[in-house]
Amino acid sequence: MKTTRREIMMFAGGSAVGVLFTPAPWRLITDTALWSENWPGIPVPAPGETRIKYTNCSLCPAGCAVRARSVGDQPVALFGVPGHPLSHSALCPFGLAGHHLPYLPARLKQGPVNEATAAVAEGIAKCGPAEYVVTLDLRPARTASWTYRRAMAAVKNGRYVAPSAPNAAVAVDLAKARTVLSLGVPLLDGWGTPGNVIAARPGFRLIQADAVESRTASLADQWLRIRPGSEDALAQALAGATTHAAAADATGLAEAEIAALAAQLAQNGPVLVLGSSRLESTGRTIVARRETPVPEEWQKAAPVTDLASLPDGSVRVLLIDESAPGEYLPWQAIARKLAPDSPVVVTFATTREGYGRHAQYVLPAGIYPEVDGDIPPAIDSVAATFRLSTPLVAPPQGMVKPEEFVAAAAGLPVTDTLHERAAAIHKTGRGTLFTYADAKSVALKDVSAGDFWKALQAGGCWIDAPDDKAPAARLTTAATKPRPTEESDLPLTVVVGRELAPASPILSKLYQESNLRLAPNRVALHPSCGLLDGTQAVFETLLGKCPVGVTLDAGVPPGLVHVSVSPALLDLCADGARAKVVRA
Amino acid sequence: MISANKQIRAARYGMIIDVDRCNGCGACMVACAVENNVPPAHEGATDRKGLTWLRVYKVDNGEEYPNRQTAFIPVMCQHCDHETPCVHVCPQQAVELDPATGVVGEMPQRCLGCRYCMAACPYHARYFNWWDPAWPVGMEKTLNPGVTPRMRGVVEKCNMCHGRWHAAKEQAVAAGKPDTEPVDYLPACAEACPTGAIRFGDLNDPSSTPAKAATEPGSFRLLEKLGTEPKIYYRSKRDWVRAAADAPRPGAGKENPRG
Repeated sequence: MKTTRREIMMFAGGSAVGVLFTPAPWRLITDTALWSENWPGIPVPAPGETRIKYTNCSLCPAGCAVRARSVGDQPVALFGVPGHPLSHSALCPFGLAGHHLPYLPARLKQGPVNEATAAVAEGIAKCGPAEYVVTLDLRPARTASWTYRRAMAAVKNGRYVAPSAPNAAVAVDLAKARTVLSLGVPLLDGWGTPGNVIAARPGFRLIQADAVESRTASLADQWLRIRPGSEDALAQALAGATTHAAAADATGLAEAEIAALAAQLAQNGPVLVLGSSRLESTGRTIVARRETPVPEEWQKAAPVTDLASLPDGSVRVLLIDESAPGEYLPWQAIARKLAPDSPVVVTFATTREGYGRHAQYVLPAGIYPEVDGDIPPAIDSVAATFRLSTPLVAPPQGMVKPEEFVAAAAGLPVTDTLHERAAAIHKTGRGTLFTYADAKSVALKDVSAGDFWKALQAGGCWIDAPDDKAPAARLTTAATKPRPTEESDLPLTVVVGRELAPASPILSKLYQESNLRLAPNRVALHPSCGLLDGTQAVFETLLGKCPVGVTLDAGVPPGLVHVSVSPALLDLCADGARAKVVRA
Repeated sequence: MISANKQIRAARYGMIIDVDRCNGCGACMVACAVENNVPPAHEGATDRKGLTWLRVYKVDNGEEYPNRQTAFIPVMCQHCDHETPCVHVCPQQAVELDPATGVVGEMPQRCLGCRYCMAACPYHARYFNWWDPAWPVGMEKTLNPGVTPRMRGVVEKCNMCHGRWHAAKEQAVAAGKPDTEPVDYLPACAEACPTGAIRFGDLNDPSSTPAKAATEPGSFRLLEKLGTEPKIYYRSKRDWVRAAADAPRPGAGKENPRG
């Protein structure tokens, strides 16, 4: 048989058409598409020499010790420091991803520094006799806080305001407690120094009174599901100030349950009570703590005041340092204090998500781990401490150091305050120096001042000598939470979550890609609420509205709404407020 | 490189996770993602489409207050020893059980993205890259150079921090130790766990913590009835937690949430 040219052409043509009906061309197209997608899309990590650096995390008041694995000068992983006497090698999820924070998409990179400087100078000059220049410091007792206090002492009508200052000289000794009664305090979810709490946890029985099944409630030995805002009523009954029947009425607990709790507290001392100052702790579980020494010349400083003590409409110039996260004051409480005619409000922030939404001037501040500063002792540190958050990476150009800005506005000279304070501590000769690289403690009197400063910068912590004569003390708690009032249009009672810290995008593993934690701008409701999990909704209180996502959680009782901690939501509500959540 | 004619003393790396110690903080999940260059969530990612090589599930005993109890169970690839389901179904031989370590490894370069392994995995511990891996501008500088980021269209999962194992092996060889011996190393989750709930070690070494704990009362494995012989052991004194280990997926009613 002879094959003709026509037959070859027909075979080739038929084959070409036939191939189109097989999966081959489509597979090739898909593969090529996938392949080509991969060319530019995959970042290539830069190789380099691996080094270990040490610092302290300044994301929250715990100040956990950090061991950073760096490639070249870039940290690529953070872990705790083994053997650390306070943080016990623990680091929370926020701290583990702290090296991502300089690259937050929402980060402020520039701001109107010159305009703000001029406005503050003009505001200070115009400040009337009944008006004030105020620095609001969300994290008091730092060396920077002392600079603010000295600056406010140097300007006319200067005031230094700090929300949680009253507890700066009080410490909780968890190791001494056999029973801990926590009235809504997130003891096992970031309170104090997490590593220290975990280390002390086997030694005490934890009774958690909480309206929702919080993380602490779910891990406590006993969870008392009380009504929101009824913590104070329970504490009063346990202290004998009211009857168990009255407390049962307010909290929703049975009278017998309250009587059994009172008996437990009486029998299993020492008892530590957190979240209420009405009920006394026993057995010196709360003691006064010596202050970390400061240079003599710093003592001429403005006293610490609280915002409520300022008259409404009296603040001419307000400088807010929110670069070190701390207790958030709702904007409504601050706005009331501002002078009615063009007050000057400057905030030092890392993003615009906090007070930057309201201030006239938002100045970019450095963020951990690129700023230096010290971290005051945490609430569960019985001894005074001094540790530095040494930069692991260099900050970008244009960042403002809040303490230098405030000092310059008040006419104070700019000095190396951290070094000065370290020298003042060294002069006392008290306590020990714990160095991270070798996990060793050495008496401070055996270390020279120069070596002490070097050790602090390379990763070290000064711990004051134990003070056996420290008197028992009391924690100051926030003003009594409001009891919810019935309002037919706002059927839900608010319970606010407990976390507020800048978070790496990798925290989406906890917030978005699993439901382990409540994401910012989300609310949790009981499954019977009528909304679907993941629904976009509007959260509404008497103070305004905010778009939120809905998470369904059987641990939230019907009639309550568990609100995540974000500045936008905190501006609208506090624990016990009334709210409603409707589909967007 | 280990030459073929050497006698290798095989390790069986495994873990014991004390559920009664886990406080559900999520540090292990974050440390795992940082160590293994798992990208942050894409805008469209959900709990079904996200990438979490290790996921902590919140489970409860199904009771109402005051009898309600809660526990947190970290679940990662269970590194099945016997009839490893994902190895059997992979048409590309992209999944293998390493005889030297007992680790079930995944080779993304070979993966064609068919997701048979995800369907086969009874623990829902495998994750598909639905999107290109992307980090915010500048954050790619924080990537771990010891681990290559994976591309879109492939499956990935826990490999017990193979990069760390590799680095430990290189260090051991550089220190003059024989390359046929198991090495001591620690995956990121075990290092990061603040409560010490996750303990890692060689199950072939009777003195290791997981090997000892695996035989103690109260220890169990997930879906033990399937006979896959996982190398991740769990421990709890609570009966209801041990019972939850036989559910298809801790804390969820759906049989196959990502299938």
